Amino acid sequence: MSKALIIDDEQQMRRLLRMVLESRGYEVCEAAEGQLGLQEAAFHRPDVVLLDLGLPGMNGLEVLKRLREWSDVPVLVLSVRDKETIKVEALENGADDYVTKPFGTAELLARLTVIQRRRFTRQSAEIVVGELKLDLLHHEASLDEAPLKLTPTEFALLKVLAEHAGRIVTQNQIMKQVWAGQTSDPSEGLRVHINHLRKKIGESGPRIVNEPGIGYRLEDS
Amino acid sequence: MSDARSPSVQVSPTPVSLAEVGQYSCGLTLVFVLASTCWVLLPYTGDLFAALVFLMAIVLAGTRWNRGPVLMMAVVSALVWDYFFIPPQFTLNIDKPQDMVMFSLFFIVALSMGHLITRLRAREAALAQHHQEREHLLELKHRTEMLAESERLHRTLLDSVAHELKTPIAIIRTALDGLGQGNPYAKEIETANRRLQRIVESFLEMTQVESEALEPQPDWCEIGDVLHAATKPNQQELAAHTLRITGTEDLPLLRLDSRLLAQVLGNLLHNATRYAPSGTDIEIHAALAGNTLELRVRDHGPGLPLGSEDQLFEKFYRAPDSPTGGTGLGLAIARGLMRAMKGDIEAHTHPEGGAEFVLHLPVKTRSAA
Repeated sequence: MSKALIIDDEQQMRRLLRMVLESRGYEVCEAAEGQLGLQEAAFHRPDVVLLDLGLPGMNGLEVLKRLREWSDVPVLVLSVRDKETIKVEALENGADDYVTKPFGTAELLARLTVIQRRRFTRQSAEIVVGELKLDLLHHEASLDEAPLKLTPTEFALLKVLAEHAGRIVTQNQIMKQVWAGQTSDPSEGLRVHINHLRKKIGESGPRIVNEPGIGYRLEDS
Repeated sequence: MSDARSPSVQVSPTPVSLAEVGQYSCGLTLVFVLASTCWVLLPYTGDLFAALVFLMAIVLAGTRWNRGPVLMMAVVSALVWDYFFIPPQFTLNIDKPQDMVMFSLFFIVALSMGHLITRLRAREAALAQHHQEREHLLELKHRTEMLAESERLHRTLLDSVAHELKTPIAIIRTALDGLGQGNPYAKEIETANRRLQRIVESFLEMTQVESEALEPQPDWCEIGDVLHAATKPNQQELAAHTLRITGTEDLPLLRLDSRLLAQVLGNLLHNATRYAPSGTDIEIHAALAGNTLELRVRDHGPGLPLGSEDQLFEKFYRAPDSPTGGTGLGLAIARGLMRAMKGDIEAHTHPEGGAEFVLHLPVKTRSAA
């Protein structure tokens, strides 16, 4: 049974999330503010943390940074719309994904499942996302058993997205991993390669979904 | 005196001001009065006393008056002194060498006074100007700080209001999911909650657009991604229509704020689903003319009421026979966002029926290939 920690200042929200999570077999603990949340995290060692970014006092981002100093527990950030820069900052400070309030429970549970699937562990030289297979040993990709002809950059790009399949990856994170910050106008290059990848993968494979102002998500259709 | 302080009098004394004329006449009167007094006292004091009195008058005048009147006083009093007081009296001749020295001293003192005054006044004026500039700067700084502070307060207030309004909506949303889909009452609550959410978001967006705190953040983007982001929040409403998108295939990468543009398109699409009967097509056509992106959103509804093409974009405007619900803010927000991005929006009834909205947006382009 996995343990979930909810850090949210709204009591009603915490109660509801507890009901939703407990109905799915989670063991739930909660905290109404950041400092307490950190203590709970240290004490209960949760398997996943749901963190509201709009906390009073120590804000969610600060809680996340402190948490990341000693823990790599998967963190799902809860935030309202129009706070894209804060979401990006949270993602780049170690949050695994976000949901925008108001969210549906289906979306919430799906995100939780994805981020709890342990971050890609390099015990296998193969990444599989639906029909898509990446062979890291031979730098080969295939879609529905048919080989995909990818350039080295496209392969590297697809690898980053596939490692985080179902999870959002910010533009900066992609650029750091694929180009190591070496191009002059990286976002343009990124768009071009995403474009090529989408064309090569076509309609049948996983979709590369853009979330404006944030980044990309590889979704298994 | 205030005229004498102004730099124009200091630097170029040519235009003789009214105050200066006053000073000239005052100077003459003063010399006359002093000369008469000294004349009366001459038997008791001697001519050197008169010279000292005149000099003192010049020095005093020098501290208050301009250079011209002071010089004039020096000349006149020197002549008066020479003529009436230095023996031989009633001639301009000077016999004794010490009188000669005294006479030259007049001019030297008068000239240096004039010179010192000019410098003093210039420095005074510079100081005054400096002071004024400093005050101006201080005031400016103060005002900027005040503005920043009020901006910050405004934002904090808006944030907390937004939080207060959105939290109950989010709670209702999550709670409804827990109730399950089967209950028809729950379905009604959900519809109402979605409507409430839209209204709250519209008001908050409108406030943001109006506060001019909106700064577009252009980045390279794919028009398909923008359209995807625009249709996603309207999926339920769009399900009753067929969305046809043309012209996007040939577009290169565009540099624009995709989030803002998606919001504009989202508002237009939502409008279209509200006014056009279900089952009809909604069309989006994209085209690039030079550096301007043109997007057309057309529905097959009743079109726009005649003459409302401009009013449409005003806050709270609602067309006479528009369906109930809605805040009349969607199009005002759309226009606000377009203008924030240096673009614009217009509307007309399509010649073949239905409303058509046209967006123009300056963009940077580069081929996607």
